[in-house]
Amino acid sequence: MNRVVAGCVAAAIAAVGLLSIGIAVAPVGAQEAAPSKTLLPGKGADLTMQRCAICHDITHVTRSRLSRDEWEDNIKVMIARGMPIEPHEIPIVVEYLATYYNRDKPPPAAEAPSEQPAGSAAPIAGVLAANGCTACHAAEKRVIGPGFREISAKYRGEGQAAAYLARKVKEGGAGAWGPVPMPPHPQISDNDLARIATWVLQQ
Amino acid sequence: MNNADNAARGSRRDFLGALAGMGASAAVGAALPSAAWGQAAPKPPAQPAGTVSNEAVLAGKDAALKPHSDRPLTASATAEYLGDDVTPTSRHFVRNNLFTPDFDEAKHTVEIAGLVDKPMTLTLAELRARFPEVSTQAMIECAGSGRTGFSPLPRGTPWPASGGMSCSQWTGVRLGDVLRAAGIRSGAVHVAFTGADFGALPTIPKVARSVPVEKAMERHTLLAYGMNGASLPKIHGYPMRLVVPSWAGSASVKWVARIEVLAAPLKGPYMDESYRIPRTPVEPGGRMPADAAMTEGWPVKSIITHPAPNARVSPGKPLLVAGHAWAGEHDISRVELSFDEGRSWRRAELNPAGDKYAWRTFSLAYTPPRAGYTTVLARATDDAGNSQPALAAWNPLGYFWNGWHRIGFVVAA
Repeated sequence: MNRVVAGCVAAAIAAVGLLSIGIAVAPVGAQEAAPSKTLLPGKGADLTMQRCAICHDITHVTRSRLSRDEWEDNIKVMIARGMPIEPHEIPIVVEYLATYYNRDKPPPAAEAPSEQPAGSAAPIAGVLAANGCTACHAAEKRVIGPGFREISAKYRGEGQAAAYLARKVKEGGAGAWGPVPMPPHPQISDNDLARIATWVLQQ
Repeated sequence: MNNADNAARGSRRDFLGALAGMGASAAVGAALPSAAWGQAAPKPPAQPAGTVSNEAVLAGKDAALKPHSDRPLTASATAEYLGDDVTPTSRHFVRNNLFTPDFDEAKHTVEIAGLVDKPMTLTLAELRARFPEVSTQAMIECAGSGRTGFSPLPRGTPWPASGGMSCSQWTGVRLGDVLRAAGIRSGAVHVAFTGADFGALPTIPKVARSVPVEKAMERHTLLAYGMNGASLPKIHGYPMRLVVPSWAGSASVKWVARIEVLAAPLKGPYMDESYRIPRTPVEPGGRMPADAAMTEGWPVKSIITHPAPNARVSPGKPLLVAGHAWAGEHDISRVELSFDEGRSWRRAELNPAGDKYAWRTFSLAYTPPRAGYTTVLARATDDAGNSQPALAAWNPLGYFWNGWHRIGFVVAA
């Protein structure tokens, strides 16, 4: 760079604010779509949501597309960072993530409604297990979330308690029982939500 | 935080007003649950005790700082908002691992432990009374800064190609002064820093990382309590944090509660499972080699801060092209710019060097020869002769992106 240009640059540095005035910054382009706050429905989605969303928002998953190896490695890292997960649950979560959030292949088409139609007469224990409720809640003692009897004691007798609980199960939330958030469960049918809520309030 | 929230931040008064309204309804709901259980009932507040809400953190930030995730909170501003020589606090990037804790400086202490003759536990006031105050401008950059430059995109916070780095002015005491006062014993190899921040479950391990004794004793490594002339903000580690300049940001532990001198590198998730990088390139999409190295000093890197991407500029007038360059443990020796996709390069002017670990601002007056779309590439070289690569070597955790920064602008006829 020659002296004359260097001098110009020195002046230009001083005038950087001034120069900026003459430059209209184009409007920021449309942002990328925000990552989803719910997981794609599929086998293992509930368990994955529960195990992952305790500590971090689920967008860390929904914006990712990784190979199976990377998901496996990532779960190992998460376990080292305190992820609460039983050994037998690990392959379920990895399989779900590697199926629905895979870099190399698109997720399978949405499955047909399960053989448990809305309002099924399946035993409530099966509904609770199938939807992952019992992964975090037990009858009496606190596991990750409060016990069913604690929930019942807190809300039973309030007007619209069943509707409130059903919505809490569907939408999730945090703060009512401590810092661990309840993940949302958008895939549970309204009828099953009502059954779960009613059953909890009977405990 | 989603993009709807980002949009709302454009009108901060309205946004905060809405939040205040939500808080008030939530409080009513807690007191009178049945009254609030209608269709419009608010969700319960999701703010654990002893923590600062993201809304409160972002209220102290500029709208240019875009959140990338809300739990844990991560946010950065891209290069066109980082033109200041000293990064304003309002635009300093945010990378939490856990919640933003709300500590009281009268109660919070830092413990100096391990291989030292005189272990000690100090409040901020005791620390300040005992050791001389120093101040330095220094780079802090997340190891994953620029991660979205990698293809395929590795896991982790999707830092923009030009976001995740900042260069603020830090005030505190030299960690070396504190360690000398404690008396480092023979056999010391690493010094570990542990943060007091906490997560959703009591079983979640603390954020902890160690660095070699030499880096801990380096005169710019600070136990900091001030940022840009003010008290350290809560989001940046109040009441005290480490500033380990120009190293992977994980070394600059916030809310530091324990400093332990060790005979070996610390073991733990922030040492062994993360912040590792292959010693030689791996096939994109591949796994981390067993002998991967710890991320330490950043490699040479630069960003173009002016003009902004897609700016409209006038033809025939000199345009100031400016930015910053930095090089970890090295000094910058030159920055070159290309306006023809790398066929030819022009050397930019470097501002005088400042503090050892501050970035160097560069600039070049460029008169666009023609109307239309024009691109600029920036390539910095350090005093060891290392130049930025066009694209950084892919690695499984997406660390140390230092590929050429490229922006485009339009010369309007």
